[in-house]
Amino acid sequence: MNGRDFRALKYLMLLTGCKTLRIGPIDIEFLLVILPVLLKGALITIELTVLAIFFGTIIGLFVALMKISRFKILAAIGSFYTWVIRGIPLLVQLFILYYGLAQYLDIQLSPKAAAILGLSICGGAYIAEIIRAGIQSIDKGQMEAALSLGMSYAQAMRRVILPQAYRRLLPPMGNEFIALMKDTSLVSVITMVELMRSGILLNTTYFRSMEIYLTVGVIYLIMTTFFICIINRLEKRLAISDGE
Amino acid sequence: MIVAEHVHKSFGKLHVLKDVSLTVEQGEVVVIIGPSGSGKSTFLRCLNYLETIDKGYITVGGQPVGKRKLPDGRIVDDNRKNIYRLRSQIGMVFQRFNLFPHQTALQNVMEGPVTVSKIPVAEARARAEALLAKVGLADKSHAYPIQLSGGQQQRVAIARALAMQPKVMLFDEPTSALDPELVGEVLAVIKDLARDGMTMVVVTHEMGFAREVADKVVFMDNGQILEESPPHVIFNRPAHPRTREFLSKIL
Ligand SMILES: Nc1ncnc2c1ncn2[C@@H]1O[C@H](COP(=O)(O)OP(=O)(O)O)[C@@H](O)[C@H]1O
Ligand SMILES: [Mg+2]
Repeated sequence: MNGRDFRALKYLMLLTGCKTLRIGPIDIEFLLVILPVLLKGALITIELTVLAIFFGTIIGLFVALMKISRFKILAAIGSFYTWVIRGIPLLVQLFILYYGLAQYLDIQLSPKAAAILGLSICGGAYIAEIIRAGIQSIDKGQMEAALSLGMSYAQAMRRVILPQAYRRLLPPMGNEFIALMKDTSLVSVITMVELMRSGILLNTTYFRSMEIYLTVGVIYLIMTTFFICIINRLEKRLAISDGE
Repeated sequence: MIVAEHVHKSFGKLHVLKDVSLTVEQGEVVVIIGPSGSGKSTFLRCLNYLETIDKGYITVGGQPVGKRKLPDGRIVDDNRKNIYRLRSQIGMVFQRFNLFPHQTALQNVMEGPVTVSKIPVAEARARAEALLAKVGLADKSHAYPIQLSGGQQQRVAIARALAMQPKVMLFDEPTSALDPELVGEVLAVIKDLARDGMTMVVVTHEMGFAREVADKVVFMDNGQILEESPPHVIFNRPAHPRTREFLSKIL
């Protein structure tokens, strides 16, 4: 809608006796003011989510392999990691990373660095549990068959176990990715300007909470829905290539 | 080809193999029979180091399994590379096939040569196609395991093991998970291998097969080898009362 169209719309509204054009409680004129700011924030939210998924999955894979390792020390370290990280609220972890480290060790992370670090560490712990369960759900005969061909443990994992686990992992991983996307809203408390914090900042200017936060919510909903669609697609494609 | 001497193996307190000794000559077919839980599978798995042994000594093709002799005569645990190489020379076929479900029949058979032996893909494919033809499944190359019958799956599994060009083949109850009408096609493939002179150890309850193919039948009970004789001897005049009891139940 360009300026001229908009003026025409306003004129039409005046003629019909309608003071403002609204969607539910949201005044469209105001929406057009806040939307560019919020969409910019949403882009940051997507960036944070993608990075957290990427690093979280790498961390998760390593921690999962540690947890199923026959080396007791590695397994213990892996279990300790998931126990601590899953047992402390992400909000608290973010405060420790951003404010705690700065005060105690003089390490002042940027809000973005702290946000990515916190989200990846936390996502990694949940993803590790998902991957571990996925690997352990694969029949033990698969590993034996691979080893009996002369494969190393790493080759067996890479060629036989992980490709099978991967298919079973997709649904729970999809859930975890969506949870991570929603959790990115928490980093607003460490002054990281993403979608949620953009909303908070707008509200300190306009004091129109309902309109602002409802719009923020709808943008999150659109993003998570889009994500779910991608995952569903991927699942269908895999099911076909599986010959099932 | 295989020499096992005084092998002992325990799982915790459970003493599963008690002083098991067995020799298998080049080209020989040895059939192991015995009641469930007597340690037959465990013994096979020790032969390719899927299980470690507590005491004793095993060699396959002259190579100590999982052990290595140092120049000063001491025997130590072998490094992993040698263990992988040894396993690649020993084919194993499992009761439940254990085909890789995410790969086609052809890919299953190519997997070992490509990943382990690192031979060129085209060569591996040619070898795999020849082997699938040999087990009568040339037309099923592109089928996934789930699309095959049990008998067909087991034949693919045999081709997969053969693709590594092993010196020895181990079969752990290869027909026990099959419907009766599918047993014959798998046994026929194993008989073919015997005719070709493959050295084999076969755990099975198929006494007709043992009678026909085995050079030697071994009766295992409660972690021990109680009797070891040519088939016509063990089936007609079993020496040990436990063998007699077992055979009377099964025949
Ligand atoms: N990984 C294992 N851990 C503990 N006990 C085992 C394991 N594998 C086999 N056993 C036990 O060892 C005994 C022999 O098993 P197995 O070799 O499979 O016998 P068979 O193949 O003759 O039926 C059984 O009592 C079985 O329960
Ligand atoms: Mg068994």
